[in-house]
Amino acid sequence: MKCVSLYNQGSHRWLAFGQDPAKPDAVIDTVQYVVCAQGGAMLLDPGGMEVFPPMLASITQEIAIEDVSGIFLSHQDPDVGSSLPLWRRVCNPETKIYVSALWTGFIAHFDREAVFTAIPDEGMEISLGSDVRLKLVPAHYLHSPGNFHVYDAKAKILFSGDMGAALVPPGAASGMFVENFASHIPYMEGFHRRWMSSNRARDAWVAAVSKLDIEMMAPQHGLVFKGDDVPRFLEWISGLDLGSGVAAMAR
Amino acid sequence: MAQLSAGVRRARREAQRSVRIQGRASGLLGDCRRAFHAFGELDELAENLRILSLNAELAAGRAGEMGRAVRALTQYTRELVNRLAQIQGEMFGLRVKTYALSSDVLRELLQLHLFERAADLVAANSASSKSAGIVADRAFAQVMRRMVDTLDSLADSVEAVARRAQAIEEVVSQSDSIATNIAIEASSAGVHEKEFRTVSDTMRRYVDDLRQMIDEASDAVRRALEKGDSLRRIGLENLHELQAKRILGE
Repeated sequence: MKCVSLYNQGSHRWLAFGQDPAKPDAVIDTVQYVVCAQGGAMLLDPGGMEVFPPMLASITQEIAIEDVSGIFLSHQDPDVGSSLPLWRRVCNPETKIYVSALWTGFIAHFDREAVFTAIPDEGMEISLGSDVRLKLVPAHYLHSPGNFHVYDAKAKILFSGDMGAALVPPGAASGMFVENFASHIPYMEGFHRRWMSSNRARDAWVAAVSKLDIEMMAPQHGLVFKGDDVPRFLEWISGLDLGSGVAAMAR
Repeated sequence: MAQLSAGVRRARREAQRSVRIQGRASGLLGDCRRAFHAFGELDELAENLRILSLNAELAAGRAGEMGRAVRALTQYTRELVNRLAQIQGEMFGLRVKTYALSSDVLRELLQLHLFERAADLVAANSASSKSAGIVADRAFAQVMRRMVDTLDSLADSVEAVARRAQAIEEVVSQSDSIATNIAIEASSAGVHEKEFRTVSDTMRRYVDDLRQMIDEASDAVRRALEKGDSLRRIGLENLHELQAKRILGE
């Protein structure tokens, strides 16, 4: 599994893990992120159970597993956190698990013994070390009804879950970053039209994240947007008509 | 990349300990299912035996004094039917428990496999710290220990099934004696002989069905106990091995 450093300033780091060449084709490609600061580390959407073995092997090349102090799940999907019971076995028992208050009872189906820190609808902040604060930004209905993204004001990185996700065919990307926004659109368009159902929620999200100072937007699938590609994405998604599945019901 | 692929290949090749365990566990769970499946028609047989005893009692009533012994035998048959109903209720509880434990074993097996793959991938990556491998091995050992405990509970459950099978066998043996006694009574029942002989023959047929049920279930139970024991040994061997590597810190 590839590991790319998105940000590295002293102990404050953002790492992206993905594009595992050994991943079975039937398993959707995911990107897992780790934010570290001052001896603490937060896993963002640690992935499905199939991803756990290579992810554990990769992450332990970068950080000590004992440093993991938190696990954040953007929403309830199996590719986001079905590995939770496995992570809980290798991490400290004190490791906190953050998930929308809406989903705690549902995610317990993956792990009945997990104790969750329920994120309220309006979001919350989490401290990582003494000077890094992660803001959990509401992104409800994009695509899950209880959905959050993570913003790190110091690193200027937004972890955007399924927003900005792309289904990139194997071999089509040479790295972890979007290199040509226009040619990246075909990998994103169908996904967003179908998986994102609410234009109203999208507008509210775009309005909220436009106020943030973002240098990188890191989705859970596909490639990371950086620099001007971030506002390009916001502009593109603002004009997209979402909820394409509704048409099938009208037929 | 080439090094990683080699590591992955190696991990896949080496992640066979859990695959071997998985193969045996599938056999164990299959035998448990087979045992309960064998008892699947117990309720129907018990009901048939109950109806037969009622009909026999009516026939004995019609036979008057000649049916006195048969009447006593059918009352005893009804007690056996009640005993079967009780065993059936206990079997239901055991089936629920066994299936719950089986699902625990399946979940633990999946986790074992994933931790084993993780440990092998960590070992294949020279850049990983030694403690990372220990963490993965320790998680493997914890799940293995839990699985050994679950297998112990499963073995208790299967042994309880074996005890119920033995209790049914006693019912079968007593029903067989009753059928023989009714046949003896039939030979001296004059005009009622045919009726009593039908009761005796029918009862013997049910006894044969019950016997076949027990034979099938006992075979499955015996195999399940053997496989459970063998799996438990493998689990303990793995734990000792990890203990020797000082993974468990005990």
